[in-house]
Amino acid sequence: MDPKQRNYLLLALCAILVIGSWVMFMPPQLRIRQGLDIQGGLSVILQAKPSPGQSAQDITSGDMDKAELIINNRVNKLGASETSVQRQGGDALLVQLPGIKDQTAALKLIDTTGKLEFVDVSSLPSATIAAINAWQSNKSPGGSARPVIPADVVYKPVLRGDMITNATAGQSSGANAGQVTVTLTMNSQATDLWAKYTTANVGKQVAIVLDRVVQSAPAIQEPIVSGNTEISGSFTVDEANNLATVLQTGSLPVTLEAQDVRSVGPTLGQSSLIQGVYAALVGLLIVAIYLIVFYRGMGALSVIGLGVFASLFLGLLALLSAFGVFALSLPGIAGMVLTIGLAADSSILINERFREEIGMGKTVRSAAASGTKHAIITSADADIVTFVSALALFVFAIGPVKGFALTLMLGIVCDLVMMLLYSRPLIMILGETIIQKSPAVWGIPKQAVAARGVAAKKGGAANA
Amino acid sequence: MHKFNIDFMGHRNIMFGISLVLLVVAIASLGLRGLQFGVEFKGGTVVAIADSGSVTQPQMTDAFKAAGLPNVVVQGSQAGVNAKAGFIIRSSETSAAAASAAADKAIKAVGLSASEKTVTTIGPNWGANVTSSALLALGVSILAILLYVSLRFEYKMSVTAVIALVHDIVITLGLYALIGWEVTPNVVAALLATLGYSLYDTIVVFHRIKENSQGLVKTSYMSMANESINEVLIRSINTTLTSLIPVVVLLLFGGSTLKDYALALTIGLTSGAYSSIGVAAPLFAMWKEREPKFAALAKKYANAS
Repeated sequence: MDPKQRNYLLLALCAILVIGSWVMFMPPQLRIRQGLDIQGGLSVILQAKPSPGQSAQDITSGDMDKAELIINNRVNKLGASETSVQRQGGDALLVQLPGIKDQTAALKLIDTTGKLEFVDVSSLPSATIAAINAWQSNKSPGGSARPVIPADVVYKPVLRGDMITNATAGQSSGANAGQVTVTLTMNSQATDLWAKYTTANVGKQVAIVLDRVVQSAPAIQEPIVSGNTEISGSFTVDEANNLATVLQTGSLPVTLEAQDVRSVGPTLGQSSLIQGVYAALVGLLIVAIYLIVFYRGMGALSVIGLGVFASLFLGLLALLSAFGVFALSLPGIAGMVLTIGLAADSSILINERFREEIGMGKTVRSAAASGTKHAIITSADADIVTFVSALALFVFAIGPVKGFALTLMLGIVCDLVMMLLYSRPLIMILGETIIQKSPAVWGIPKQAVAARGVAAKKGGAANA
Repeated sequence: MHKFNIDFMGHRNIMFGISLVLLVVAIASLGLRGLQFGVEFKGGTVVAIADSGSVTQPQMTDAFKAAGLPNVVVQGSQAGVNAKAGFIIRSSETSAAAASAAADKAIKAVGLSASEKTVTTIGPNWGANVTSSALLALGVSILAILLYVSLRFEYKMSVTAVIALVHDIVITLGLYALIGWEVTPNVVAALLATLGYSLYDTIVVFHRIKENSQGLVKTSYMSMANESINEVLIRSINTTLTSLIPVVVLLLFGGSTLKDYALALTIGLTSGAYSSIGVAAPLFAMWKEREPKFAALAKKYANAS
């Protein structure tokens, strides 16, 4: 294939990619997924905490898989769409809840380990018993703080939460009508244990403890042989629902601690997005004017090149969004804005080199071929250096800055594609025709073209 | 052709002087005022409220203190494009549930809309993770870049390029210390990105010097290097400007997260463009001129330049 044919082919390929990109990303607000910091919602990084005496290495991948499943089940019960739970490194989970309204409640739900135990109150230290009784005599829904069993107290539970087969929140009927309750059903082993225990201990107090916090401390009224047990603590409706969810989904195999929690109001993120897009467009406009003033026709080609670049970039983001592997965050927008400069840079390198090679005595035609080639090599060097930094950031850094690194890398890829499929073939084609005819329009000084015979004899080879 | 003929090398002591003053100011700021690290590095809570309405700063402070957040510091945030004046509230609270509940309570107490806020809470031990991972990213990327430069260019270039990089990092961080802006992971990321840029500016100059030095007989290394800088000056100015323009626009119009990036990028890009010509190239040329071959040339053309 001769170079001319190849160039037309490359341009055609570029056009197809640009059109494909537009099909992909229009309308951008629907096709490019927005991150939580833009659409609003709650993002939590939960880190597994080793139990006392354990080191971080003792947290197994199996534990984390189980924890991921349980947290996933819990957030699904929140009823929000597009929730996601992902592993982050060896010991952390990233939980994303877009559009969640009551962020405080959601936080409580995912932050709870969910270790439920039935504890014989008389086995607890006297200070704790006193605290439980004081709280019971003064309880009101959502009122005074619940008693906590201190971490150094060792106790033996009668029943454990993993024996619970189902839990539902509701309201009790009968004597305490209207009180919010959680009703439990348990497996046969637990039913047996519980029947024996309640038969032997009528009149004694049992504390129902979730993650060492006493939820309720009823006295056993009569033997419970069916296994169906009603807890009527001082719950609000939300608290009862949360507790039921936690009991249904099971207790976590590891203690998870919320480490990086970001909640963003719905309109706040949108206004940040508008600011970012506004800044990007104004920046793009000024750069476009600058390029045209400085490089005339070549500048105009560069501006179209920026359009090609932006199209490919948005198309790529939409493509990745469609596969669910990309969401645009604010740091991502910063990365995109930086890559506008990057794409303009590579156009400038090409224009400068092209001008310079003509100035040094090459024909427009050969300057178009060798100038673009050398400039692309130089640009690729610049791109690689920036890409390396972005990659290091993407791999090693934690938190939202990964979004910045990712868009920076994607932008670099689009920049390279733009240079190879658009800038070089187009300049080579135009270099043989219209640029040669009227160089001034293209920002190339006429005397440079006119003087080429003299300069060529001097053997002036351009090098950059 | 647009071409300059500025005697950079002749005035290198002035440029070194400027850099020295900037470095002294930066190091003094870092030493005396120190850097203010964001909650991501040390743990704590930041609440941003988008629209302050008619609530005053003391009212806001009281509301958050009353809601039970420890060590409350309230700052006003400026109005911008599509944004009203708001508040940024910082606290040392590291429990997300407590911080979120307290923020709801305080905002309700002053009568503002609870949906117009962001709450970020970072656990006490998480900061160490963030810090070590940021340092790791910084270290690995600098090493990788150095390796790349060393493979493609000679070691004297890598060493002087690194001096210019350190120059840029110190000046950028010094400015953060001086104006008291918080250093967040965003700032570190932006700084890292500008290092690549800064380094590349330097490489372009070196590239030209290297090519022009082949078969050098008619002039001294120093004046050839000066000529090389002038040859790439337009390109350097243009690429720096086109990179700076969008970033400066972001600095002017962006919200707080975007401003974080924009300021570090603006300083880093500016300092990077300057250090290539003002620091890296003269140092490199001075070093090269000590090689016997070029020392002889320097002696020969000492009076001519």
